[in-house]
Amino acid sequence: MGTENPNPPSYPVRPAATPFAAMQSTPPFLSSGPVAGSESSSFRPVPPASSQFRAPPFSSGPVVGSEVPAFRPPPSGRSNELVGPPPSSSSSSSHGPPAAGFQRFPTPSLPSVGHAVPQRTGQPVLSPTTRPAAGTVASPPISLLSQPQPPSIPMGSPPPSMKTGQVNGNIPPPAHQLLSSSRPNVQPSSPPVRPSYVTTPGISQATIPGYVNAQPNTVAQAQPMQPASFTLQQRGYAPGAPPTPFLAQQRSVNPPSLYSGNQMQHHVVAPPTATSPGLAEDFSSLSLGSVPGSFNAGIDNAALPRPLDGDVEPKSLAEMYPMNCSSRSLRLTTSGIPSSMSLASRWHLPLGAIVCPLAEPPAGEEVPIVNFVTTGIIRCKRCRTYVNPFVSFTDNGRKWKCNICSILNDVPGDYFAHVDASGRRVDLDQRPELTQGTIEFIAPAEYMVRPPMPPLYFFLIDVSISAVKSGMIEVMAQTIKSCLDSLPGYPRTQIGFITYDSTIHFYNMKSSLMQPQMMVVSDLDDVFIPLPDDLLVNLSESRNVVDAFLDSLPSMFQDNTNVESALGSALKAAFTVMRQLGGKLLIFQNTLPSLGVGRLRLRGDDIRVYGTDKEPASRAPEDPFYKQMAADLTKYQIAVNIYAFSDKYTDIASLGTLAKYTGGQVYYYPSFQASIHKDKLRHELTRDLTRETAWEAVMRIRCSKGVRFTNYHGNFMLRSTDLLALPAVDCDKAYAAQLSLEETLLTMQTVYFQVALLYTSSSGERRIRVHTAAAPVVADLGEMYRLADTGAIISLLSRLAIEKSLSHKLEDTRNAVQLRIVKTLREYRNLYAVQHRLSGKMIYPESLKFLPLYGLALCKSLPLRGGYADAQIDERCAAGYTMMALPVKKLLKLLYPNLVRVDYSVVNLSPQTDESNIIRKRLPLTADCLDTRGLYIFDDGFRFIIWFGRSISPDVVRNLVGEDFTGDYSKVSLSPRDNEMSRKLMKILDKFRESDPSYYQLCHLVRQADQPREGFFLLGNLVDDQNGGANSYADWILQLHRQIQQNT
Amino acid sequence: MGDVLAWVLFFVMLIAIIVMLVFQLMCLADLEFDYINPYDSAARINSVVMPEFITHGILCFLCLVTGHWVMSLLSIPYLYYNMRLYIRREQFVDVTEIFNLLNREKKQRFFKLGYVVVLLFITLFWMIFHALEDHH
Repeated sequence: MGTENPNPPSYPVRPAATPFAAMQSTPPFLSSGPVAGSESSSFRPVPPASSQFRAPPFSSGPVVGSEVPAFRPPPSGRSNELVGPPPSSSSSSSHGPPAAGFQRFPTPSLPSVGHAVPQRTGQPVLSPTTRPAAGTVASPPISLLSQPQPPSIPMGSPPPSMKTGQVNGNIPPPAHQLLSSSRPNVQPSSPPVRPSYVTTPGISQATIPGYVNAQPNTVAQAQPMQPASFTLQQRGYAPGAPPTPFLAQQRSVNPPSLYSGNQMQHHVVAPPTATSPGLAEDFSSLSLGSVPGSFNAGIDNAALPRPLDGDVEPKSLAEMYPMNCSSRSLRLTTSGIPSSMSLASRWHLPLGAIVCPLAEPPAGEEVPIVNFVTTGIIRCKRCRTYVNPFVSFTDNGRKWKCNICSILNDVPGDYFAHVDASGRRVDLDQRPELTQGTIEFIAPAEYMVRPPMPPLYFFLIDVSISAVKSGMIEVMAQTIKSCLDSLPGYPRTQIGFITYDSTIHFYNMKSSLMQPQMMVVSDLDDVFIPLPDDLLVNLSESRNVVDAFLDSLPSMFQDNTNVESALGSALKAAFTVMRQLGGKLLIFQNTLPSLGVGRLRLRGDDIRVYGTDKEPASRAPEDPFYKQMAADLTKYQIAVNIYAFSDKYTDIASLGTLAKYTGGQVYYYPSFQASIHKDKLRHELTRDLTRETAWEAVMRIRCSKGVRFTNYHGNFMLRSTDLLALPAVDCDKAYAAQLSLEETLLTMQTVYFQVALLYTSSSGERRIRVHTAAAPVVADLGEMYRLADTGAIISLLSRLAIEKSLSHKLEDTRNAVQLRIVKTLREYRNLYAVQHRLSGKMIYPESLKFLPLYGLALCKSLPLRGGYADAQIDERCAAGYTMMALPVKKLLKLLYPNLVRVDYSVVNLSPQTDESNIIRKRLPLTADCLDTRGLYIFDDGFRFIIWFGRSISPDVVRNLVGEDFTGDYSKVSLSPRDNEMSRKLMKILDKFRESDPSYYQLCHLVRQADQPREGFFLLGNLVDDQNGGANSYADWILQLHRQIQQNT
Repeated sequence: MGDVLAWVLFFVMLIAIIVMLVFQLMCLADLEFDYINPYDSAARINSVVMPEFITHGILCFLCLVTGHWVMSLLSIPYLYYNMRLYIRREQFVDVTEIFNLLNREKKQRFFKLGYVVVLLFITLFWMIFHALEDHH
């Protein structure tokens, strides 16, 4: 508010401006806008002068746009919905009256400006009033003039060709005070008077090309003002609106209410209530420096926003509701839930949440466990919500009000506690369920349909010739054996094995035996289970037999020459064995299933189908057997993890459905060779076997009335409309859900979400993990954008895209992604109507600054990239299945991997170099960043690619790789060597791996200019560069920008 | 007299198709309101899909054989649609995706139902018409 003072002076100036006013087509708009925003507080004192301008409520909007976020929304919203386009002359008159009322100062001292000025069509915007002040801001004016001429736009602001961040406020510090005639459309003819800035307090137009030079500080300054001004406007507009959140008011504003002047005053009086910090937010822009179409323009590649700090989670929600569960568990695509369907329909991005129910808490934090022994779990009697921090106690503590359905429930006697004057229970600090967003309840017997199952691992192993040759069996057997001690759930853990080629081999592991007995069944059509039990045994009892089996397994089949694989029949056999208990089924598949039911054929990778309607079919599962089987497996609580190893086509698309609908995972090791890939398989299999797993789980997300989760995406099966069946869950799996509004208008101010996962822990306890979160309802699109979470959006968007790619062509899928981004940014641009006349800038909300880049990365990701030649069909499908289950952070890392330069720290032998420092120095993914003398690590969370520059010192290479450093790098592996450099590098790699333990990052060495290896591993994955037929980042931005401007 | 018999036969077959369609719709509605689980629902629906297709196929054939050209022409779009589903192997509901496809499946069956009801009324009309004619 401090700014207020300056304003008064500015007003007087306006009259002078009047002459100019004539020029403006939409006088009310412009002039008033700026004024209103800035002055709000100041107004009263200086009533007359300002009042007239403001008169048109709308006007304020545009002006404000750039500076005060809060402002803009109102205008935009109104203008679009209610008012429509800023009324030109006619509007002025009509609005005039209301406006006057609005401003309280009925006497338009400067009637001339608003009304008198017949809106000249030409310059809509210019707030002439401001100009007088022009003198103050010298440079800006000039630029303004230039604006009209589109091409010229490259903007005077040469320095920052591309401005990211909030460059917008170009106004020089002093400028704020001046009314910035934010109007972009200044007529060239108009006198340089531009002084407009002078008056505008906080208002700087970001968009104005001329202003390119804007200083960030302007933004900051503007903010302080906002609250006041903000409230003013909004209130005035939406008189009816409850004091609560400004947001609500804006959208919901009823046209009639707009004009009520009286209310205005009241509101004004009211403290800037809700004006949350959010208002301060500003949009960001990139000045593309050229009119769309001309490429030469000054796009400064380096200035494009890049997520070099990794995933930055928005903090605003956690600050607003400190009792919310952590964003690890639940991330909303936007924390502002739209208050109406019409608003939701203008949000072109997916609306929903990414849920990771078992996300690992950071070291030192634990999920509190609560056991309601005497009272039973406290739940709402109507909606079955679990008690959580957001419920309120009334009636002196005898009743509690459900935060989701608002019904009053009785507090059980044993749970009763008195309530103090402020409504807090006196025992609050002993009740973690009332203070923590994430909690775990011990479920009593009524939550069980059967006794809790023991952890059960069943292995289905393909032992055909390729499995033997690749060495897979040996690595696998060793790994399983080493994990036996750490399998969760000792001493209840159950285990069993079946191997198969063209026949199915069962193993009797009875504890009284010394050696396992093998039984071979060759009738594949009607699989006969040779033993009723003892195929599945308790690990602790039969430990010796299991050990003996695993020891002998590799040698048992070492001479096997069978090339067939009867997966379908073996699967049925395993299903029959496991169906009593459920559990986890690990399938090790080496070839295409070729015998019995579920036989798959060589189909798919045919170059001729690409681009035709038959293309999607190659990515969709072919044989309904696997889908049906997956459904049955889920029904009996069996989760399937697929390990596929073949170097040839294995139809992952079909096999993967087994994992998809049973809550499992697909691991794919193309061309598996034990010598190269054994560490990877060992690590990932170990993790799969030993990580904490939740068994026979179901998950449901409840939310307040009026919103509903409609679609779910990820690896699970729906058991009813909103109940996810998850035979096994662990911390590496996330699920996405899309939200939709059921009512045209939401009446509440906060929406609550509660994720409840009912599961059996490995220790045999039935538990309920509950995450509760609250999110505000907003009535304003700008606020939704401000609260958006790029990570969650991209996560949901990629799942949608991958699903779409199963039924649509890749090309169409990519276009759909692009279209969504374009629509989003176009809607945002329209929000700030003033600016969109400036063609040279791309506007986007700060919260979504990485959206275009991640969108591009998504289009270049393995499941969606290019066409036939760009990725093998199996790799595509495997990556698709993997991405469907990845938590947000890992997905973002996969989409935009880390690239770091390490040669300095490797060569620098001083021991105290800090490895963690290196990790932080991420580079943009472009070949320009690769120095030929450098050594780089490219880390996407699934593998490391180590790139050796052409001119790197041979010493370094010899130390790291050994004597054969000149040889073929595809055959060289990076192993620890006895020298300082190698130890250093290993230390760095270990550091990287520690940060992401869910997969093992295998090192691939690549030498510069070693084609095609370099292209395949590295160059093709540099997202910022042009590769294949795909755009480079700069081109992509230009393309988006051009499309955004079309039809706006 | 033969004509009347033929129309009565058509009428009965159409009623049978309608019953099967309504049964499928009921299963879908039950599923939506969580009265039965997707496995049972899908199994029940799929068990009547082929009978429905075959009944309609026979109906078309009979129309043709008995020389009721118009009636058979009217039935052909329905037959074509069924054939197309069959060839694409989309005739059965997919238990794994049933919730995502619920609306589509329901809509599809509502359209079918409407279509068959129209056929039913036409048949009814001709049946009565011929019966009255015979009477004279």
